[in-house]
Amino acid sequence: MDDRSTFKQDLLGAIPSLRAFAMSLAQNADKADDLVQETLVKAWDKQASFQPGTNLKAWVFTILRNEFYSQMRKRGREVQDSDGALTARVAVHPGQHGAMDLGDFRAALEKLPEDQREAIILIGASGFSYEEAAEICGCAVGTIKSRVSRARSRLQEILGVSGEADYGPDAISSQVMGSNAA
Amino acid sequence: MCAAKAGTAGAVRTSMTKARAAAAGGLKRAGSRADPLGPNSEIGRKLKQYYDDLVSEAVPDKFQDLLRQLEDREQPVAVPASGSDRE
Repeated sequence: MDDRSTFKQDLLGAIPSLRAFAMSLAQNADKADDLVQETLVKAWDKQASFQPGTNLKAWVFTILRNEFYSQMRKRGREVQDSDGALTARVAVHPGQHGAMDLGDFRAALEKLPEDQREAIILIGASGFSYEEAAEICGCAVGTIKSRVSRARSRLQEILGVSGEADYGPDAISSQVMGSNAA
Repeated sequence: MCAAKAGTAGAVRTSMTKARAAAAGGLKRAGSRADPLGPNSEIGRKLKQYYDDLVSEAVPDKFQDLLRQLEDREQPVAVPASGSDRE
């Protein structure tokens, strides 16, 4: 009985992050909230398969992500692929140097393929480790690193931000080569 | 290639344990070592700002209601939530 109410409390506590992640994926508030609702129902039903003491947030993020992609597939929408043609149409105004505004950033983020967007969100904003992000996305750690790295360069490119001196592309991509294909 | 992949999978499992331990310790920022999305990166800062804005949005009541319904569904005996006040 206590387990159940703890679980409920933990789910409640995860809702703000879930909504943020859902918004990042769906880019639409209504769809995002539908996703969160569906995720909560699924999480509740799968409660028995959650191991107390493990990371509940990662667990519900996984459910939400799976739900997102399965809804997209149902709608017949092709999942964007980082290597797809999308890159070609990404060419937007770089804002004033150093004066990047949040709206510009949001617009740039929307232009990323889903797999890159989710990777950079999980790593750069949600506070997950590469290992956790890989588990959530069901792929190799190297794949996540590569997606994050490409997402970052892409955002820099779209927004006209030069990479700060402290990170060259090599910092990450050197470890990534080879496990890219997964 | 395949061997590399299998190696990676093994590494994931080992480091997953470490990651869990770190998470339990309240780790906030992933991969803080030479963090390319850290506070020194403009992209990193914007990313956090974007996300934090979303996280700090007020959660609509419908989610709490939903969880309550889910709970009631399985626990018909449960005391109907002590605070039945719904603003």
